Amino acid sequence: MELERIYHLYKRAGFGITYSEAKKQSSENKKQVINNLFNSSSQTSPLNVPIDEIKTLFKNNPGKLSKDNKMHLRKISRRKLLEFNRKWLYRMGETDEALRERMTLFWTNHFVVRERNIIYFQSFNNMLRQNALGNFREIVIAVAKEAAMLNYLNNQQNRKKKPNENFARELMELFTLGEGHYSEKDIQEAARAFTGWRHNFKGDFVFNKKIHDFGSKTFMGRTGNFNGEDILDIILEQSQCAYFISKKIYSYFVSEKIDKNHIEELASVFRKNYDIAEIMHYMFSAEWFYDKKIMGNKIKSPTDLLVGMMQIVPFKFKKTKELAYVQKLLGQQLLNPPNVAGWPGGRKWIDSNTMLVRLKLPSVLLNNGIISFDVKGEFEDSLSEFNKKKNVGKKLDVESDWNFFNAQFKKSSYAELNMIVLGANLHEDTEAFIDSFEKESKADYCIQLMSMPEYQLC
Amino acid sequence: MKRRTFIKSSGLASGVLFVPNFLKAHDQLWPSILGHKKLVIIQLAGGNDGLNTIVPYTNDVYFKNRVSIAQKKQDLLLLNDEIGFHASLSKFKNLFDDGYVTIMNSVGYPNPVRSHFRSTDIWQTASSSKEILKTGWVGRYLDSVAKDPVGAIEVDDMLSMMLKGEKINGIATKNAKLLYNTTREPYFAKVLESSQDKHLNEHNLGYLYKTAIDAKSSAAYIFEKTKVYKSTWEYPKNAFGKQLKTVSEFINSGLKTQIYYTSLSGFDTHANQINAQKRLLSTYSEAISAFVNDLKHMGTFKDTVILTFSEFGRRVKQNAANGTDHGAANAVFLMGENLKSPGMYNAPPSLMDLDENGDITYEIDFRQIYSSLLDKWLQTNTTEIISGNFEPLNLV
Repeated sequence: MELERIYHLYKRAGFGITYSEAKKQSSENKKQVINNLFNSSSQTSPLNVPIDEIKTLFKNNPGKLSKDNKMHLRKISRRKLLEFNRKWLYRMGETDEALRERMTLFWTNHFVVRERNIIYFQSFNNMLRQNALGNFREIVIAVAKEAAMLNYLNNQQNRKKKPNENFARELMELFTLGEGHYSEKDIQEAARAFTGWRHNFKGDFVFNKKIHDFGSKTFMGRTGNFNGEDILDIILEQSQCAYFISKKIYSYFVSEKIDKNHIEELASVFRKNYDIAEIMHYMFSAEWFYDKKIMGNKIKSPTDLLVGMMQIVPFKFKKTKELAYVQKLLGQQLLNPPNVAGWPGGRKWIDSNTMLVRLKLPSVLLNNGIISFDVKGEFEDSLSEFNKKKNVGKKLDVESDWNFFNAQFKKSSYAELNMIVLGANLHEDTEAFIDSFEKESKADYCIQLMSMPEYQLC
Repeated sequence: MKRRTFIKSSGLASGVLFVPNFLKAHDQLWPSILGHKKLVIIQLAGGNDGLNTIVPYTNDVYFKNRVSIAQKKQDLLLLNDEIGFHASLSKFKNLFDDGYVTIMNSVGYPNPVRSHFRSTDIWQTASSSKEILKTGWVGRYLDSVAKDPVGAIEVDDMLSMMLKGEKINGIATKNAKLLYNTTREPYFAKVLESSQDKHLNEHNLGYLYKTAIDAKSSAAYIFEKTKVYKSTWEYPKNAFGKQLKTVSEFINSGLKTQIYYTSLSGFDTHANQINAQKRLLSTYSEAISAFVNDLKHMGTFKDTVILTFSEFGRRVKQNAANGTDHGAANAVFLMGENLKSPGMYNAPPSLMDLDENGDITYEIDFRQIYSSLLDKWLQTNTTEIISGNFEPLNLV
């Protein structure tokens, strides 16, 4: 497979690929390369931050936590979530299970939660990782049973006498069918079927019979004593469901410009078994996935930007808080989606401010540049802290591994470096412009390439 | 890594900024489309406790629910025999006494959401609590009316949802010079110079170049236009005071920008509310008073309206930590020289008629306020900006 196709595949299906690995695979054919991608993600390595501190807190306070202890727990959780964020980002840059990690990130923006409890969050995140390439039915059911989701969409409050429709609504609107493919009545009836789906303090799923509505429900024209699983099965029978998910996958992995024929192709594959690996395999094998109009025409998310840079020049923030600041400036803090619909993505990533930050970022992170930032206070911030912040012209504390870069690209040509960093099919103006760069050091050259607007695309 | 080499190789920018013709056209169109009225929006982020701000000091229910945090009559700045302002609001009260303030009580929306993020979204996008909009209401104003990023400025370093449109986003800056300098970095300038018109017509790449060029020309416009004027008025020396001073400088130097947005955070007072809110309200009151007086002094207050909101109010009943939890409807302030209904716009919230969570129920939908301001103040057709029919109020 040609080098440029390998890079395209890995930028979309993973987070990039090292030069040596890409070179190695370039002697294999398309089928082999795609199989490699899937084979290396056949295992699941859970991602965890140590939570001994929390365990000790519970052990020392059997029964109920006091108010102070609860506050303490929140504080530990906040710190741990930040740690998880960092670990997750680096995982994406370093993992061999590239496709699995990409799918995990994809599903977190499909089954969106915001969760302040690290134990619940971690469990949710690893559940998605585990099911990322599995069966869609299984993943939806697992999602519905996670504490993070039960909390976020209020199913914890969904009881026979007082149904809460939040989860049922989003299940159909955002997770399976899309707006307009169900009625308000369907939402009400589905909500009844999910009554009593709860979690205990530890975060384990429990079914509370006492508050479950065992009565007859009429959902999408069918009547029965449906439970949550039954509702989902009826949803999966709708041909719209496979289409909806295929469209979402297409616009995330291929292009925001919708091609109905290609999506219908994907949907007909997906409808058979709702097998996620199968639809992804079909898509990455399709010749249209490698169309010249598709390659290099997707706007990178901030996460893609950071992780993609890491693949070329590994770097680490010395202070986790600074990583969070940079994510915030770019408009995507992992673990902090804007709302239940997640980040809209595409052109929505780009405004004047994020564009300027993006163009400056390579020299800031990799070349000791200075960035001006003064991030809005969190809601918890006290006023004095808000006033204290003086971050203008601050230097970020980042350690970058140029030795890795130099070793990797020692033998590459400048033309190859252009293709790896900016992609193939460059505009002739761009070609002419980067042709004017001094070619004294590949490192300097690379930073300039990364500071091009073209670098925002993948 | 030779940093010096990089700077050298990134070249010297020629002084001329390449701006494609289609972008230049905006400047000429501008004056005929837009008036000179200004709208300044301030969010008290975190959910300010409206009940302890505008205090119903004769209401028994208030005192019963707030045993340790109720504001006592003797501490308040009394307005009438029902209502008093929090003691920190003395300068704000002067503005009120001069007839420059309208206070709207019980502002909210149906099925209120008690999450900061979601509720802030709702206020910023002007959506209902059941729909998720991907553009902010000021962003939609940029799309359909201003058609230029400089039409709205957020005095901050990051752009909020409120100023994001479908096609056009506003500009965020606290420091026009810094923003301008960033866009003027030699390498950046050189990259943009290298682009040609046909480049800009391309799919996503064109969008990236256009945004960068917009950033550059907007930053240059804001900087050039504002560098000659510096406010001499004295503002409180804190971040919020500085932000309002910047807004005043933007307005008074004649920027064509019509909408400004800024926020003051820290209002999430779950514990030990008394001192925290006291400091916050005092910061607000002093900065806003300096701001109004500065504008008055410069003769621009008559063309400015200031809207202050919070994403929600606090629960009526205090919690065990001497604080309050997330609530629902809340008071909204409007300031200006020619208000139609200065004073209290409507009666204080009924504390007998709370919702199932024990929160104040809404009487005025916040989108009625937006619609009224767009329609009556900015003389704009609201239908493309706010969806749904919201009865206009007699405000401006």
